[in-house]
Amino acid sequence: MKTKPGLLILGLGLLLTLSCSKYPPSSERLLEDLAVITQYDTKIDFNNYHTFIMATSIVKITNRDTTNVSDATATAILDQISKNMEARGFIKAITPVVPDFGVQVVYFQNTTVYTYYYDWWGYYPSWYYYYPYYPVYYSSYTTGLANIELVDLKVVDQNKKQLYLRWNGYIRGLLTGDHTTAEILRCVDQAFIQTPQLKTTAN
Amino acid sequence: MKKIVSVIFLVFLTLGVVRAQEPTSAGYTPSSYYTFSWNTAFPIGNFHDWVSQPGPAGFDFGGRYLIRNGLAAGFNIGWQRVAKIYDNQTYTIPDKGIAVTARNYRFTWMVPFQAVIAYHFIPQKVVSPYVGLGIGGDYMEHHLMIQEYDIYKTCWDFSLTPEIGILARFGAFSNWGAILAFNYKWTTNRIDLYEEESRDLQMLNIKVGIALTIR
Repeated sequence: MKTKPGLLILGLGLLLTLSCSKYPPSSERLLEDLAVITQYDTKIDFNNYHTFIMATSIVKITNRDTTNVSDATATAILDQISKNMEARGFIKAITPVVPDFGVQVVYFQNTTVYTYYYDWWGYYPSWYYYYPYYPVYYSSYTTGLANIELVDLKVVDQNKKQLYLRWNGYIRGLLTGDHTTAEILRCVDQAFIQTPQLKTTAN
Repeated sequence: MKKIVSVIFLVFLTLGVVRAQEPTSAGYTPSSYYTFSWNTAFPIGNFHDWVSQPGPAGFDFGGRYLIRNGLAAGFNIGWQRVAKIYDNQTYTIPDKGIAVTARNYRFTWMVPFQAVIAYHFIPQKVVSPYVGLGIGGDYMEHHLMIQEYDIYKTCWDFSLTPEIGILARFGAFSNWGAILAFNYKWTTNRIDLYEEESRDLQMLNIKVGIALTIR
């Protein structure tokens, strides 16, 4: 009989332990996942656009420098974007005709820099990007982030020397886990899937 | 041989009857009792759309004071969490043109606090079934976690909890016992996070715990 209170206290402790047990996953596990975030300019009609030009390399921005990457993964990502654009009715333009959209991918690694400019096409050197919408900002890109940008080359602000971004898709979490090219390509597809507005019937 | 088997069977049967009668034999009517229970919540209705699996992470502390003829009044306070991971969920903010697709972790934790009235049908017995009603409120936090982002809202509510249960003492004169209860909880709490919208959150709860009765 003397052992009863002891057993009860033990049971009580067990109940507390069970009830307060931490539920998986920890936030670290969530960080290992890729997230796809897209945003488009709700004020424009994509039917007014019908051509695009693709960058042939990905711009990589780190704390140290900015480089162009054109390895197999970069090429696969750019091809996948191009396929999705064509599936949405846009036609790949042939230079030197100025297309309606310029598409480029910027990859941020270990950097907190947000303001950047990189005109892969060279149509408007030293101009600035402008988001007509309030973009989904992140305080830092330490988790690795690829930003697919759709730059409007048709409507340009000559006075302010601004280029408007009409759509962008972030693939976030590229540094935190062990992600395959196939996973990244699925994220590219997802970026388009979750933006059904990005299509044209102009052609 | 048949006789021996019959006698043994009869002895066991008699012992069984004696043991079966023992738990319900009269001992004393407690003046009050306190319970500490492990609580498992089963979200139902709109709440089930938010988190569609039971939450075994919860506990409840209660006290009852017997007023007269099996009628008791008391309180319940506790803590409870329900949680689930959802893969590849897409959330949109149409007016801003934003869409987010990611694995997400949804959870709600709550602190219920209620005044309780209960009626014990046979309070003097070792096994004492009861019905009760809790009236009070909850503090709830609803979290939607995507990567390191934790989007959450807090909400207070009014709640009603009808309950049935059994208080069983370990012996006719023991102060210690066990409690097993089942209740349905209706609250005015709501979840309003992006496209997740749930109102009048409801859940079923199973409580298993220990009880300390005071003579």
